[in-house]
Amino acid sequence: MDLHNFKYTFKQRLNFIFGFLIFIFSILLIKFFYLQIIKFDNYSALAKSNRIKIISIPAIRGQILDRNLEILAANKLIYTLELDPKNKLDINEIKKKLSNIVQISNYDIKKYNKTLKENYYSSTIPIKTNLTNTQVAKFIANQYKYPEISLKQKFSRTYPKQQTGAHFIGYINRINKKDIERLKKSGKFESYMGLDHIGKTGIEFFYEDKLHGYPGYKKIEVNAKNDVIRTIEIIEPIHGEDIILNIDYKIQKVAEKAFGKYKGAMVALDPENGAVLAYISQPSFNPNLFINGIDESNWRRLSDSIHKPLINRVVSGIYPPGSTLKPFVALAALENNIRRPPFSIIDKGFYNMPNQSKTFSDWKKSGHGKVDIIKAIAVSCDTFFYGLGIELGIPKLNIVLKRFGFGQKTNIDMPNEKAGLIASAEWKKRKYNKKWYQGETAITAIGQGYTQTTPIQLALATAKLINPDHTLRPRLLKYVITPNHMKSKIIDSNKETSHSQGALEFNLFGKKTKSSYSLVNINKINDLNLVKKAMALVTKEGGTAAFIGRTSSYDVSAKTGTAQVFSLKKNEVYDESKLPDKLKDHALFIAFAPSEKPQLVIAIVVENGGHGGATAGPIAKKVFDAYLNEAN
Amino acid sequence: MINLRLSKYLNNIDRFLIVLIILLLSIGLVTLVSAAQQATAIIGNQIINITVGIILLVFLSNVDPKRFLFLAPHLYILSLILLASVIFFGFESHGAKRWINILFFNFQPSEIIKITIPLMLAWLYHRYQNTINYRTHSIAFIILAIPCVFILDQPDLGTAILIFLSGLIVIFLAGLSLRFIVVSIFSFLLALPYLWSTLHLYQQNRIMSLIDPNRDPLGTGYHSIQSMIAIGSGGFLGKGWSYGGQTQLNFLPETSTDFIFSVFGEEFGFLGIFILFVLYFLILYRCIDMAQKMQNTFSRLITASLVFTLFSSSFVNIAMVSGVLPIVGAPLPFVSYGGTSMVVSLTMIGIIMSLHSNKSLIAN
Repeated sequence: MDLHNFKYTFKQRLNFIFGFLIFIFSILLIKFFYLQIIKFDNYSALAKSNRIKIISIPAIRGQILDRNLEILAANKLIYTLELDPKNKLDINEIKKKLSNIVQISNYDIKKYNKTLKENYYSSTIPIKTNLTNTQVAKFIANQYKYPEISLKQKFSRTYPKQQTGAHFIGYINRINKKDIERLKKSGKFESYMGLDHIGKTGIEFFYEDKLHGYPGYKKIEVNAKNDVIRTIEIIEPIHGEDIILNIDYKIQKVAEKAFGKYKGAMVALDPENGAVLAYISQPSFNPNLFINGIDESNWRRLSDSIHKPLINRVVSGIYPPGSTLKPFVALAALENNIRRPPFSIIDKGFYNMPNQSKTFSDWKKSGHGKVDIIKAIAVSCDTFFYGLGIELGIPKLNIVLKRFGFGQKTNIDMPNEKAGLIASAEWKKRKYNKKWYQGETAITAIGQGYTQTTPIQLALATAKLINPDHTLRPRLLKYVITPNHMKSKIIDSNKETSHSQGALEFNLFGKKTKSSYSLVNINKINDLNLVKKAMALVTKEGGTAAFIGRTSSYDVSAKTGTAQVFSLKKNEVYDESKLPDKLKDHALFIAFAPSEKPQLVIAIVVENGGHGGATAGPIAKKVFDAYLNEAN
Repeated sequence: MINLRLSKYLNNIDRFLIVLIILLLSIGLVTLVSAAQQATAIIGNQIINITVGIILLVFLSNVDPKRFLFLAPHLYILSLILLASVIFFGFESHGAKRWINILFFNFQPSEIIKITIPLMLAWLYHRYQNTINYRTHSIAFIILAIPCVFILDQPDLGTAILIFLSGLIVIFLAGLSLRFIVVSIFSFLLALPYLWSTLHLYQQNRIMSLIDPNRDPLGTGYHSIQSMIAIGSGGFLGKGWSYGGQTQLNFLPETSTDFIFSVFGEEFGFLGIFILFVLYFLILYRCIDMAQKMQNTFSRLITASLVFTLFSSSFVNIAMVSGVLPIVGAPLPFVSYGGTSMVVSLTMIGIIMSLHSNKSLIAN
């Protein structure tokens, strides 16, 4: 190769290299254009998420207290060890690593796995809860060894009264998929940031919005090692409001004790404002079991029990009212101007239908002799009411029953309330496509027909005998205390707008007015007084609950009831002692005391309790004693 | 008197090129102050590095090119000895044995070899310039291959490839036939699977993570992703000097050395990068122009090879931090913190200036 040629080749190839370098650097420039101009937003967001972390500050859930500020649901500070499931850790290895600090049991692992499976929400999942102080200290000292385990301090719900009041207090549990859907639909999802629990039943559910508060958050800047560089913003949480209930824990406790081993429900109301003072549903359960997800064996035990402890009988239990319906049937008769005293019948122990087609017997075989409407209530004379019912007819009866709240929700501040049922020919046609027989009218008049009621309905209807205000409704909430403990918002039990679904549109006596007392027709007040007078006689000598009157220092007005669980065959005789427990009649009892100026209304259902006066009466008596003696 | 003497020393300095280089050094230093955060020692050291490099540059620009010609084989042998001694006396850093310590100086012989190989190859072609044939090229290959094998053994794949390429450039410029080049590239591609199997696992991982950085976001791809986030989030104007969150909060690794360009990109944005690239273009243009005007084979080959080395190193570093190439651990000449790289880069400029200003001394 000669020199000239060499020089030429060199120049050419050097220019090629020059071009090549410019070419590859141009590629880089294009790449930077792509990264910094086209993808800027994307990388900008990534850089931000690198260094900006948001840590939520959970709101402390409000407490639930009774009217005397006895704590029914509280928060206790606990320490938990939690894992981030994103790290895909081997639980057994964690267990081994932690073994000299805390023992992770198989139950803990099972619970962890269960939570993990159902977890749609929180970032970390507890592997061990309720650490002791020693365990916490040990863990902190060795924390550097466990970067994948975080120690968390949280407030855990606790129900110090255990079984007592479990149904109305309710419980919280971990947020599940269904809750999330519901929260998203109602637009409340974001206020659950950083929270794991939500109210599932009872007050915990009904007043969830007040109790749970609104979480705050801390926006922090971190470096690559996750050290906090600075705090950018803190939004303090708004803690939940404390709920003060109308419930009187002492009365509650007395009532629960009085119930003993019986199943059933009891409500005690203040007739003045509908305040619920006691709320019993038996058997009960321990709500503490639910807080972090109930374990399977406990769940099986509770949900499979034939006694159905999880059912809130006060609002969800449906029972035939039995003879406790009679005062209301009587009112319907008086309103329609039939059976008004001095009208009376001679009761021989049975009633023949007008067309002689069928004979209905009285609970007292020998009959009650001469019976007017007052005695009919006092001795619970079936014969009197059979005839009354036939003459009055179902439509007129139902108008009055509806006014007293039967067949519709009372709108008590409790979830899962059932409406009960007011039976009628139209209803039977719709439901069974069958004809209504006149005999059914007769038995409906003594509360044994299709008509069904909840204990809370019975209590409210009884309260309306005393306070015929159509806006009256049972209330558990007395007032709330906002978290700063300075302002307390008093909510008038009745003046607050109701959750108006199914609310009564008319007052008890058909007048479209709120202040019913002054405007009711004097006749109707007289009717009411007549029925109340009859109910006062129930606890006097000769009444169906005479024993109460004998032992009380105050007058009690009441009505006993017995609801058949199964029908007797013809000529079969009901013998309580020979029946198995679950086929025994339900005992019902409604009462108020003192008779002249009632302070407390009680409705009781004792399932399979037999005769109303005998089992339910003594329970009511003990509650009246406790309440009235305490008040005086 | 002193002024007069000093100006005599500065006679051989190319004014245009030195202004560009000083601009580049200034940009690098400003970026380093931000990248080093509070580590003032790094800034002090870098100023010393630059000073030493500039003195060497001025000194070398006054050296007679004949001396380079004479010294080339000796320097080559010496650098081979240094390189070999890394195997016995070297110490490790970041999983590779690259450094040796001589007279309290820690330095990387693999950086020195970037100068001595072009010198040696240029010496070879200059000496046999009238009879360049396949034998000359074969000898050149052997001269090139020996140090590359040493460096591969350290192991330092990135540097080995760079040095091999800069040597190839000399052979290419010396007139290696195009047909041979095409055949070699083809057979290289064929041998690729075998070569792949000889790579260390970490090297394979680095290359794999380039293809998909998200494959292992917390492993080998992590640095690449964080670097792209830093650059991308800089946007058009950048976040401003010392305001780069990725840099200041340490999401970016090795901010003073290998990833200093990401710091620059994050804080000065696309506009900054564009200006920097204009500066690179001007430097490249000036150097190529100087090489084209040189009158002898030795000067031309050395200049072309050194320019290529500087720019291919720069390319590899920038391509690596922007996710175009795998993370191979190569500094950015004139900008990254590090004595050896800085001094070697300025030395190269000094040699080019010497060859340029003394172009008539070695006539063909």
